[in-house]
Amino acid sequence: MPGALDLPFFRDGVAEVLLLSVAAGVLGTWVVLRGLAFLSHAVGTATFPGLVLADGLGFSAVLGALGAAVLVAGLMGALAGRRRTGPDSIIALVLAAALAAGIVLASDVFDSGASIDRLLFGSLLLIDAADLRFAAFAALAALAGSLLLGPRWLADGFAGRGLGPAARDVVLVLLIAFVTVASLAAVGALLATVLLVVPAATTRLLTARMRTWQLSTIVLAALEGVGGMWLAFEADVPPGAAIAVIAVGVFILAALLRAAVARRPRGLATAALAVLGALLLAGCGATAQSDGRPLVVATTTQLADIAAAIGEPDVAVHSILRRNSDAHEYEPRPSDVRAVAGAEAVLISGLGFDAWAGEIVKASGTNAPVINAGAAATAGAGADMQDPHWWLDPAAGLRATEAVEAALIRAAPGARAAISARASAYRARLSRLDAAIRECIARVPARERRIVTDHDALGRFTRRYGIDVVGVVMPAAVSRAQASAGDLATLEREIRRAGVRVVFPEAGLSSSVAQRIAVDSDAAVGDALHADALGPEGSRSGTYLGMLAANADALARGMSAGGVSCEVDA
Amino acid sequence: MIGWITDPFGEPIVLRGAVELVLLGVLSGGLGCWIVLSGVSSTAESLSHGMLPGLVGAALLGIPLLLGGAVGLVVAAVAIALVQRSPLTPDVATSVVITGLLGAGVLLGLSPSAPAGLGSLLFGDLLGVSDLDLALAAALGVVVTLLLFLLHPTLLLTGFDRLNATALGRSPARLDLVLAVLLALATLVAVQALGTLLVVAMLVGPAATARLVSRRVAPMMLLAVAIAVVASVAGLAASYHANLAAGACVVLALAAAFCMTLAGRGIAHVVLARSAA
Repeated sequence: MPGALDLPFFRDGVAEVLLLSVAAGVLGTWVVLRGLAFLSHAVGTATFPGLVLADGLGFSAVLGALGAAVLVAGLMGALAGRRRTGPDSIIALVLAAALAAGIVLASDVFDSGASIDRLLFGSLLLIDAADLRFAAFAALAALAGSLLLGPRWLADGFAGRGLGPAARDVVLVLLIAFVTVASLAAVGALLATVLLVVPAATTRLLTARMRTWQLSTIVLAALEGVGGMWLAFEADVPPGAAIAVIAVGVFILAALLRAAVARRPRGLATAALAVLGALLLAGCGATAQSDGRPLVVATTTQLADIAAAIGEPDVAVHSILRRNSDAHEYEPRPSDVRAVAGAEAVLISGLGFDAWAGEIVKASGTNAPVINAGAAATAGAGADMQDPHWWLDPAAGLRATEAVEAALIRAAPGARAAISARASAYRARLSRLDAAIRECIARVPARERRIVTDHDALGRFTRRYGIDVVGVVMPAAVSRAQASAGDLATLEREIRRAGVRVVFPEAGLSSSVAQRIAVDSDAAVGDALHADALGPEGSRSGTYLGMLAANADALARGMSAGGVSCEVDA
Repeated sequence: MIGWITDPFGEPIVLRGAVELVLLGVLSGGLGCWIVLSGVSSTAESLSHGMLPGLVGAALLGIPLLLGGAVGLVVAAVAIALVQRSPLTPDVATSVVITGLLGAGVLLGLSPSAPAGLGSLLFGDLLGVSDLDLALAAALGVVVTLLLFLLHPTLLLTGFDRLNATALGRSPARLDLVLAVLLALATLVAVQALGTLLVVAMLVGPAATARLVSRRVAPMMLLAVAIAVVASVAGLAASYHANLAAGACVVLALAAAFCMTLAGRGIAHVVLARSAA
């Protein structure tokens, strides 16, 4: 893969995975020997409250994760020594309580926090120098701990002793917390076990000698990590998932080998291998093609649609987020970083909606100008800078098209006239659509223009057209946030008191609570509104203008109970 | 005081959540005791992550998600049972299987035709339970309670003496499978309404609490059911009064019940030791 190694972000990812395989390879053998895999998984997942705190109070995410991991691991270690309930039950209970504390913090204490979910999904494509230093330190700590305390841990392992309050066990638990947090940036919380547990479990099937086991685990973890990076690059999938599938595939091979030696039936294992191979192929996607035209990258689907409407066919547009996808669960693919590296301009949505874009730009090493469309769209607006959904206000959308136009002309100076002509035509369509929506919504009597929405995302749209949002169902933008019983009971009373006719769910999100509230308070459930991303290609909400028109139509029909519909021309 | 307790349940949305909690408390109190006693809490926590490829696959094929989740859970349970034959400890074996399934789920979910927000399917919402959720929880509660009642002697014998159970004509492996299937069913039904988080707290928390104070299995199961129902409904009432996230409050109430029992037991030990001396 000569092409891949020339890219700085690929080299950094490989360096990170090599450092982590030393840390995880050494420590993983102790995790497997002492049966602490569940503790490792739990510590990684339980960093959630630390991340929420770090985001809310504005300190480093790594510090927040590390603090939470050490606290949770210490609590688990201290309580797990109790024989009666069994260590697993205690760990499960502490894990659930830590996550619950994080949910309360994210839902009820801090307001925003849209970037928290992303921290639970790390990526080997976005490694920076600090991550590398942290991984190197974790590797050194794991080596030192293993050299100093290894004989004691080994004796405990043979004696079948569980974790206790002894200093050597405390060190072991702290090291697990440390290495888990170091691998968060690379593979994320849910897949933290991919380097820490799976390689050591694989080599355990083939060797029983401690020294051989440790060395072969390091080598295997390194091979699987680099192999996963390569596969991610070739098949354009997230590296963490690619490593997981490779590592478990190798585990199954090792189990087969063992079974072959012991002459056991192996039909099932062969079948499992075939299934894994099929899954691997199914996940493959396509890479970005620029065919010689200047490439422009946009982070969100609606921004990419605006850029394509103005710029194509003189520029090629690549959208990082995909249609109908959840911006809060984004995981970068190699093609995204590669596209940014080769782009003439990068358009970001801004206002915190795509805070991860900065990391991708940094990792790609590009010198292309980065245009913050959200900042341009809300310039001079001042007061409502908080709401990142600027595209739902056509006036802000108009201002954004000007910034996009300027960026496209800089990317393709030869096509200046054509781009300007298309931009003017596009702005004229947007202005016509804005007027048509205003006229249509105004046909709904003012006292009927009252709605409840799922998230607080439609604020710019409803304010512009004089719609009163009586309340919202979900308190925060984090997908793990939950509403409180008190707030929802108040909301139901408010809906009945204000005579709200309709509750609107949001496309791409679970609508169960919105539906429940509608049934309880004799309101109807409206058509799903599109707020964060465009709908599938070819559908009514598949373009930016279509999305605005579809939202207006859904709102008008819902509020008037079918009396008014907006057949506005997008 | 009485008003503080009864007020919230005059609201339809809170009452419905409370009914779901009572049904799941009955279902998981008894089942949870066998999960804690056989040391498979880690499997209980991890199993719901194994649903992901099934959910994504169902969404891609256009079949009901419930069915896809069920298939995913069965695949996960069978794979976990298979790797238990290796020399690895159960939690390491479980961890290998779940890592593979999660990785496969993420890869499948990247396909352009996969719908959005599948990951959030694992995070249910207590206050959004549908009639179907309630009916499923009630039906499963009946099935699980009946099975636990019928199998009680066998479970008891196998749980405490695996080797001799085989000699007495019982099959521990088959019993493990029954428990795994019950656990998978409970996860499938409860995850849709309550999410991963609340399921594990409900299954493990009350049982671990009851284990602190009871040595005999049948009283422990009854106690676990009582703790599950009382603590979780109290958590819901706290969410109503303090305006805090509902599911999280229930989990914290279940954890608080465990901590208070642990502290109470410690104090009782000290007092008993004093009076003896």
